[in-house]
Amino acid sequence: MVRFKNRYVLCQVVAEEPRGRSCIEERAVGSAVKDAIARAYGDYGLACCSGAGPAVKYLNAYTGTVLLRCRKDFYRLLCSALPLVRQLESRGLRCPCFLSTLHVGGTIRSCQKFLIQYNRRQLLTLLQNCTNEEERQRIRQSVLSCSLTEEQSSSGEEEEEEEEDDGTETD
Amino acid sequence: MAGFADLNVPQGPDKKGLQSLLEAAARLGYSAVALNHVIDFKEKKQEIAKPVSPSELFPSLPIVQGTSKQLKVLTRLTLVVSDPSHCNLLRSTSSNIRLYDIIAVFPKTEKLFHIACTTLDVDIVCVNVTEKLPFYFRRPPVNMAIDRGIYFELLYTPAIKDSTMRRYTISNAISLMQICKGKNIVISSAAERPLELRGPYDVANLGLLFGLSESEAKAAVSTNCRATILHGETRKSACGVVYTVKKLRKVEEEETVPACKKAKTQA
Repeated sequence: MVRFKNRYVLCQVVAEEPRGRSCIEERAVGSAVKDAIARAYGDYGLACCSGAGPAVKYLNAYTGTVLLRCRKDFYRLLCSALPLVRQLESRGLRCPCFLSTLHVGGTIRSCQKFLIQYNRRQLLTLLQNCTNEEERQRIRQSVLSCSLTEEQSSSGEEEEEEEEDDGTETD
Repeated sequence: MAGFADLNVPQGPDKKGLQSLLEAAARLGYSAVALNHVIDFKEKKQEIAKPVSPSELFPSLPIVQGTSKQLKVLTRLTLVVSDPSHCNLLRSTSSNIRLYDIIAVFPKTEKLFHIACTTLDVDIVCVNVTEKLPFYFRRPPVNMAIDRGIYFELLYTPAIKDSTMRRYTISNAISLMQICKGKNIVISSAAERPLELRGPYDVANLGLLFGLSESEAKAAVSTNCRATILHGETRKSACGVVYTVKKLRKVEEEETVPACKKAKTQA
């Protein structure tokens, strides 16, 4: 069915300080991952995993979700080099962080399905910690509205969830 | 499936930092964490303090993400031994060592490694990752350790921090793998800050770097850790085993059978 088989690795960037969130952009994450692969596997690793251009397919700066792509035969290289990422650099700012792998899938769609379920679970935990009644209402609405059928609705749900994230992160 | 556990979290005096570490571990999905006290005998003789119960330190333990249970916090003691006389502490029965959940030993010489694997009453033998091993692993003590249920521990935080440490970690790990074929391995962090922790899936992937196969690497983070915890519990509770040997005599056998039955109904 598909000619070139890829593996899509879904990870989350976890940073300590809130200002680290502004560092997260495609090029910074891509270069950090490539740097980690180069340190662990050298030229061979660089060529296998990210020879075909930058491998970042999707990035959500609010939740820190990153979707990386690599060839099916070399996804282990990428996966084993991901824990070695220590910091992100962008525009002169260094932000110490780490990547944690959430899911490895064969297509973007399967990763998206997983991401929606994961975000729904995160929203439920946020609901438990919520103090404001208004926030509670909004979270409940977003939990009910997330689904895979329309692309606009899923991105809308993520936007709402980002706001909740921001609301609770700064607490 | 057994929950993931991180068996080495160095216990420093900073309580807030430790709390943030535990929260990060719970968020990543670890079900159990062991707070590690390192005792080094090279310096002046240190007293082994009673382990601080985790419930005193942290009034509320964070909840593990993905389940609804609280994080389990255990206590662990690591003895860095470079001299056979240091091991005597382990044999004394009336010290505070018995109160720790997990006991680990970090041998520095080959003879001590042999002693630790064969006779010492420990749960974990630490493998040095920060410098080139001064001795080679040999098959007999490693096999005996595997039979006794002792696990070998590898740390991964030095591999994240520094490039030369990474080389030593990988080379020491690979030489261990060649001897023990990937059995009885536990991978844990020695993370001092929450940023040095990695999720269990990532740690299993790091195990692939060390030469483990995929199933062995996943086991190194989950089932082997649980087995170590159980080994520690049995060490704490069981002092010895009494077993009776029946002498085989045909005539008396028939007589003793009804007596046993009588005893069972009476008891």
